[in-house]
Amino acid sequence: MAAVQIPAGTGKLVGARVRRVEDARVLLGKSQFVDDVRLPGTVSIAFVRSPYAHARILKIDTTAARANPGVLAVLTYEDLPELSRALRLEWDPAMPSAPHKLVEWPVLAHEKVRFVGEAVAAIVAEDRYLAEDAAELVEVDYDPLEAVADMERAIEPGAPLVHQEWGDNILQAAGAEFGPVASAFEAADVVISERFSTGRHAALPLEPRGCLASYEAAADLLTMWSSTQIPHILRTNLAAILGAAENRVRVIAPDVGGGFGLKAHVFPEDIVTALAARITGRPVKWIEDRRENLIASMHAKHQIVTASLALDRDGMILGLRARCLSDIGAYTEFPFSSGLEAGVAAAAMPGPYKIPAYQFEAISIATNKATVGAYRGVGMPIAVFVMERLIDIAARRLAIDPAELRMRNMIRREDHPYTNVVGFQIESGSHREALAKALEMLGYEEFRARQTALRSRGRYIGVGIASYIETTAPSTAGWMMLGMRMGGYETATVRVDRAGKVTVLVGTHSHGQSHRTTFAQIAADELGVSLDDVRIEFGDTAKVPYGWGTGGSRSAVVGGGATMKASAVMREKILRIASRATEIPTDHLELRDGAVARKSGGEAVMSLAEVARLAYLPPGGNFAGEQPGLEVAETYEPPLMTHANSTHIVTVEVDTGTGQVRLDRYIVVEDCGTMINPMVVDGQIQGGVAQGIGSAMLEQIVYDGDGQILTGTLMDYLAPTATDVPRVEIAHLESPSPYTLGGIKGMGEGGAIAPPGAIANAVADALAPLGARVDVNEIPLTPERVAATIAKTRNSK
Amino acid sequence: MRDESFTERRTIRIVVNGVEAEREVGVRKLLADFIREDLSLTGTHLGCEHGVCGACTVILDGQSVRSCLMLAVQAEGCALETVEGLASDGKLSPLQEAFREEHALQCGFCTSGFLMTARELLKDEPNPDEQQVREVISGNLCRCTGYANIVSAIMRAAATRGVK
Repeated sequence: MAAVQIPAGTGKLVGARVRRVEDARVLLGKSQFVDDVRLPGTVSIAFVRSPYAHARILKIDTTAARANPGVLAVLTYEDLPELSRALRLEWDPAMPSAPHKLVEWPVLAHEKVRFVGEAVAAIVAEDRYLAEDAAELVEVDYDPLEAVADMERAIEPGAPLVHQEWGDNILQAAGAEFGPVASAFEAADVVISERFSTGRHAALPLEPRGCLASYEAAADLLTMWSSTQIPHILRTNLAAILGAAENRVRVIAPDVGGGFGLKAHVFPEDIVTALAARITGRPVKWIEDRRENLIASMHAKHQIVTASLALDRDGMILGLRARCLSDIGAYTEFPFSSGLEAGVAAAAMPGPYKIPAYQFEAISIATNKATVGAYRGVGMPIAVFVMERLIDIAARRLAIDPAELRMRNMIRREDHPYTNVVGFQIESGSHREALAKALEMLGYEEFRARQTALRSRGRYIGVGIASYIETTAPSTAGWMMLGMRMGGYETATVRVDRAGKVTVLVGTHSHGQSHRTTFAQIAADELGVSLDDVRIEFGDTAKVPYGWGTGGSRSAVVGGGATMKASAVMREKILRIASRATEIPTDHLELRDGAVARKSGGEAVMSLAEVARLAYLPPGGNFAGEQPGLEVAETYEPPLMTHANSTHIVTVEVDTGTGQVRLDRYIVVEDCGTMINPMVVDGQIQGGVAQGIGSAMLEQIVYDGDGQILTGTLMDYLAPTATDVPRVEIAHLESPSPYTLGGIKGMGEGGAIAPPGAIANAVADALAPLGARVDVNEIPLTPERVAATIAKTRNSK
Repeated sequence: MRDESFTERRTIRIVVNGVEAEREVGVRKLLADFIREDLSLTGTHLGCEHGVCGACTVILDGQSVRSCLMLAVQAEGCALETVEGLASDGKLSPLQEAFREEHALQCGFCTSGFLMTARELLKDEPNPDEQQVREVISGNLCRCTGYANIVSAIMRAAATRGVK
């Protein structure tokens, strides 16, 4: 197919604050989440989970469980077909990433358990009550082993091994050096060296994980409804692990109640549930409860970073060193790698700053805890937390205003396209402009004056800045640079039916991101129809083109881009048919108001339905030399990576008596290029910031020294509520990407990336008068931790 | 071993969104499961099953309750309102319309719980200020929106006197 010219759309809908087409059915209570799907004869599956962090399994006695009423099957490792017994992640030597241990995650524990919550056995019973009754009757004899719950202990000699065959606890140790690092540090006037640690977080979608598997033996077809962000990737992996032909596996991701990265994985429970459907011949449903979600799904973002920043006396950054230790828990996320967490943190560390030399290590360490997987932003919030703290500490040491120090080092507009120190090409952006705008919105000078005045009255307010670049929508080669075997393209099929209405089928999945609205805006503009005349379909692998799902802030760029491209090709076909029928040249025609019309406001000459009539029932077998029908599929892949940018500024007041931090104003200036729907962009920012506030101030998965998890309920793991999250003041700058269709950049993860850095800086700024050194290098900033910091700061005088 | 009382079933009568219903139900069945499975009203969602997230909030005899913390048999003789009862003739109520106007939902899993909580608030306090709204909905978790638009929606519904 020849290259497609994509003129700018008519601009009627793209860029407008269009109300969502998703909302009515949700508000009426008519959504269909996986647990709402009802198949006759469905039975339930429940899992028996390990109470030990590390133990040998001596014996599993399922006799009593099997005898309990309503039980159809009890499964342990030995009951599973050999091929389906483990999720197996092998290092691919073709990848540019560092060598990686072979990981085998038994879908039901084999010989050993390696974290509290690991699935040991599964019960299939007539309903969930009966399944859980029987689960309590499974008797497992464990021989507890010494567990390793601390990542730094895990890399010491003699530490217990999570996987004996590895020989150590290191999943992957990556590292690289760019530019003259040693000489940069020798030449520096100031070197800031700090140690940072982040909490262990949970993505916590409100709908927990779940699936429903149904096997039709007569057709040899397995259908799985799953609460997943990645229906096709799940299908491919289910087929491979179950030994099924991929064309005999269908995955349907219905309405999904939030994902945030957690649901971009294939889980052991998915495999066991599918096997249970095959074994029992009944549809089997697995809906995890919140305790399972908190202890046994996946955690995220648990790192200890030691980093050094070298600067000259004018505050110009000369070099950066970072060593990222990432606690990945017992196994690895699948089918990607938990090595991603440390790798992304290291790669994102330079942020929007011009850094001539950089050296990093990214070490992923196994411990006897739940596995770490993707959660909004992956390592980016950690990178920003570290870098932005280093800059604030440096600014204080050099007595340069922290905003000014950032300005001096930021990539300038005229530097674009700017190839940064790790080789990422930043195509466009507004780093300094976003910072300046955010400072202006705050009234930075006035804030400093008020701060001084309040300090004299014993009140401690502070301001924190965090700026970042969000790497979004990687191409296949871009994902590979990040160590992931993942496609960076999407295909959209656009259909115009016989009545002239439009259906778009895409491989991305929407679970809150509003694709039914935003993709319809794109298609409607390209095809000159109203929003109501477009319907977006996704989530069913039997219907939509193979796609790579939603994650990495990719959908608007790639799924939206594919929609735009296929719609444009469809528009050309419609115009050719109309031109032939009306004998008006195509370049005099456009699509407008559901019809083909003369350009520049001329009259309508054919309705889309009339064009469809000629296309579907062409006189003489074809018309205008066109294939019959109106269906177009186009694949779109953006360039290597796309970069959005933003500055967050937060103001806080710290109660030095209690350690309580109160957020006052939260300002975001962001730039994601062309906005399809600013209302949706604002919603993503506000929601992302709320999650970032949770990471920064409240949320923390806690384990004791033996690997026992202490935060198994939402009364222990504190997610932000309406009284914790202020209304974010948002402004937009638009630096369209010169490389993507429509100039779109991704932004879905962005809001969550900066809050830990911004809030930590604000707390440190508030406490600055108390002492020479304010150590705010650990999150979450709980009142206990802030109180301890206050005491330590006072002692540092 | 199993307690025999687990298998006991009872007949309960309940007024569901204004319509009387009679069902036989196991004595240990949660009200939430009863609503979803026996009444087929799947607009009520379960997010934590321990009374923290508020997704399963319904109104029982005029008061909001967590349907994951009650047994179905405890609702005997009560009037139950669920999200499915808010609209009339498929037309969004003013409260629902305000949620749409203000982009107060993303994935929508928590939404029915917020709607039912807001419905109770607006019945008791037709003119709440923002702080009141925030405090009342602080018993419901939303992981997508960051709450600001939910607060705006409830304020908008109050301004239009839309208690339902």
